[in-house]
Amino acid sequence: MPVPSSVPKRRGKRLVSRRVLPYMLSLPALLVCIGILVPFITAIYYSLQRFRLSQPWAREMNWGQNYVRFMTDSDFWNTLLVSLEYAFLTVGLELVLGLGIALLLQKRTKLNNAVSIMLLMPLMTAPALAALMWKLMTNPGFGILNYFLTLVGIDDFRWGASPSSALFTVVLVDIWVYTPFIMILLLAGLRSLPTQPFEAAALDGVPRTQQFFRITLPMLTPYILTAALFRLLESIQQFDIIYAMTQGGPGDTLMVFQVEAYLNFFQSTNVGRSSALLLILWAITFFISNIFIKNWLRLRERARGEA
Amino acid sequence: MEYQSKLETVLRGIALLLVVVFFMFPIFWIFLMSLQTNETILRVPPSINFEPTLSNYRALITGKLETSAASLEINFLRNLWNSVFLSVASVALALLLGVPAAYAFARHKFKGSEDIAFTLLSFRFAPPLLVLLPLSLYFQKMGLADTYLGLIWVYQLICLPLILWIVRGYFEDISPDIEYAYRVAGHSWFSTFRKIALPLAGPGIAAAGLLAFIFAWNNFIFALVLASADKQPVTVGALAFITASGIQYGQIAAAIVMSIAPTLALALYAQKYLVEGLSLGAVKG
Amino acid sequence: MSTLELRGVTKRYKKETVVDNVSLTVADGETLVLFGPSGAGKTVLLRLIAGVVDPEEGHIFIDDEDMEGVEAEHRGVGMAFQNFALFPHMNAFDNIASPLTVGKRSRDEVKAGVEQVAKLLKIDHVLHHTPRELSNGQKQRTSLARALAGSPPLLLLDDPLRNVDAKLRFEMRLELPLLLEAQGATVIYVTQDYKEAMALGQRIAVLSEGKIEQIGTTEQIYLSPKTLDIARLFGDPVINLYDVKGKQDTDGVFVELSQQRLSLDDSKAQCIDKDAVLGIRPESIKFVPENTAGSIPVVIEAETPLNEKIVTLALTEGGREMLISRPSGTAGPTAGKAFVTIDQSALLIFDKATGNNFVESTKSDTDREVAA
Repeated sequence: MPVPSSVPKRRGKRLVSRRVLPYMLSLPALLVCIGILVPFITAIYYSLQRFRLSQPWAREMNWGQNYVRFMTDSDFWNTLLVSLEYAFLTVGLELVLGLGIALLLQKRTKLNNAVSIMLLMPLMTAPALAALMWKLMTNPGFGILNYFLTLVGIDDFRWGASPSSALFTVVLVDIWVYTPFIMILLLAGLRSLPTQPFEAAALDGVPRTQQFFRITLPMLTPYILTAALFRLLESIQQFDIIYAMTQGGPGDTLMVFQVEAYLNFFQSTNVGRSSALLLILWAITFFISNIFIKNWLRLRERARGEA
Repeated sequence: MEYQSKLETVLRGIALLLVVVFFMFPIFWIFLMSLQTNETILRVPPSINFEPTLSNYRALITGKLETSAASLEINFLRNLWNSVFLSVASVALALLLGVPAAYAFARHKFKGSEDIAFTLLSFRFAPPLLVLLPLSLYFQKMGLADTYLGLIWVYQLICLPLILWIVRGYFEDISPDIEYAYRVAGHSWFSTFRKIALPLAGPGIAAAGLLAFIFAWNNFIFALVLASADKQPVTVGALAFITASGIQYGQIAAAIVMSIAPTLALALYAQKYLVEGLSLGAVKG
Repeated sequence: MSTLELRGVTKRYKKETVVDNVSLTVADGETLVLFGPSGAGKTVLLRLIAGVVDPEEGHIFIDDEDMEGVEAEHRGVGMAFQNFALFPHMNAFDNIASPLTVGKRSRDEVKAGVEQVAKLLKIDHVLHHTPRELSNGQKQRTSLARALAGSPPLLLLDDPLRNVDAKLRFEMRLELPLLLEAQGATVIYVTQDYKEAMALGQRIAVLSEGKIEQIGTTEQIYLSPKTLDIARLFGDPVINLYDVKGKQDTDGVFVELSQQRLSLDDSKAQCIDKDAVLGIRPESIKFVPENTAGSIPVVIEAETPLNEKIVTLALTEGGREMLISRPSGTAGPTAGKAFVTIDQSALLIFDKATGNNFVESTKSDTDREVAA
């Protein structure tokens, strides 16, 4: 071969061993991990203390007392109840709506694609800002939605300001923001389903409603499960929408976990109680996220197999 | 599916219309409000008949808020700048740290790699305040409270897992043989990473970066806990602005429009990757 | 040119040992074929030599220099991959140029180098195409060109003809030996195809489940395979195998096939009184015109003419199948009853229990000197 070979006789030894290199590359990720774990462990420590920022002198370990007190604490039960109500209401409604819209948009037409892209816009709106938008639309003075309600004869609907409609209002905003999330996930799932079972069913003359319950729904289940668990995880710790809309009010109507913990920490400076609340929330999310991650890994494997 | 009755077509049409109206109307209406003066906003009944004006935007940009009582100083542009700076810097840092780590996780199954990856993932779903509240106390001791550096560090909680998990999938899709071929041809691992792995995972890195940017921009709780007024991004700033400006609804609407426009634009631009990114790679769009 | 030596190289993935204590030597300028079924560890062995994977145990020497801790890019190795592994974001030119862009070559030198090797492999007209635009054959040639471009003293070719169609494989099988000879490099060639192995290798190393079963010249592997498996893998048509029992009388060692005595030389005495497998190459069976002494009657079932030989499938009296091969153009019976004789000097006999050849062919074990 005419191209002169230029292999150096003194071969370069590697500076960094191949075993060490991956550790070096992932060191920053490890640091972030530590940056998460240290405050996490600190939170556990705080939760076992009597600790108010306003009374540093009275700070002491009280072990499980913060948790024990929850048993008889009606505020705590209210928080748990409201959080669960919020989570299941939003996820349930969004699931039904998202699935409906996904089915509506299933066919790949120009119009359907345009609509599905349009629906991304609420999802990409910051939830806190979305809450402000709805606040403007439900303003008692000039809110357009109030005006629409007067047209159908409802005069004094007070939206987030009234305990009876506050939950409805924040759930509505949540639906507006997050239904598209479930929709696009299920739409992607629907469009990736194999066509043969449907063709076979159509040939056999299976009615469409039966096709839906016997073929579509079972095949879509992993997607529905993943989307629902994902949303449940976020919804049970919703903060942005509720805080921006009503700050947990009126009264304690919307005191979900994170809002309650936030106010505990910054208003009543009760670090111990706040940390204990968050740890209970963490335990709930940890439980859900374990199921979720298993599901998610399975879907991920499948998606990567298709590629 | 081929045989659609007329009735069904009509019903589908109506349903589609309702969907579009429900999801688009708020954005449309806030946009209209942003072009109106308080006078036309407060009209009863409301009407879309008005003389559009850019005065709200002008007020936000000049920072002079003219109320009936007095001229008020506001600093919404400062919030906007904070949003841009915090999001860009956080994503840049997350890419700088996350892409090499994603590469290491994809290529070398080493002891503890899965543990790190899953810790990051599982805390992606943990309540942010759980980490944030103790961190705010630490930050006060370390002098990181209310600094850009502290905020960017905290933003890694959302940006890093996203980038790590999406980009890792893209790296795993590259056949190791392709990289071996380049190594054997006489190139160092670093130039192989640069010339082979990075370009081939390019689209995934771009998508992950864009999504991380959107999530960082939309984040509310981090800055609410950790930043004071002059470091706050638009999400927190807009809330404070409402309290401060009272009844200047046109300007509030304009502020909201300016705050959500960047992420909406990016989302439309990157919609191809959104499905995959939002599901952390579990679903291909 | 380079010499290569492996000493006790072992590679494990998780708990599975994929390369198991492999030792071998390759002389300067020699072409060694690594032959074995898929999953035998051939590809991993090449990756270990190339230095993209580290062994758990053992040492690899190139030019008597221990490669431990030497990065792949410093080993002076060229490699062609089974799946081609072309860089999808570079055109054919840049793919081939990749070994040349290291170091201080001018652009003209790189260009000249690429064009030279591209011309040799007849792909100089597609250099501006990206891998996606190349046909399978062009991809294969591009990947070979890339391996050759840097004139590496040690070439590792991982079954480069596996993923190309039969016609192209045939062409390349003729072309490759010339090309490799012109290159003058030391070559390790991996294949699953025994014809390719026979055509290309000066020596063949048979790999099975990560272990080297036998190393030897093509003749050694063919004429005295160390195990039943190797005997089965080499040869087309496949070797005839019969269950027999080793016996002995005053005339020496023998086995019986269709009541015929087939005598074995004394080196095979180990088979006496043992269950054994008799191997007869189809080409050491000959038709004879009539029932002479020592001939075996058969009934012909079918005949298949291959291009250079005719293969006949017959049944012996015991109903056992027998493949008989004779060169094309020679006469032979095509149907009905016939008689055959067996070249008794070419008989192979294996231990039924272990599959090992009863004659330990000590020669192929120690023979490491090969004409360069």
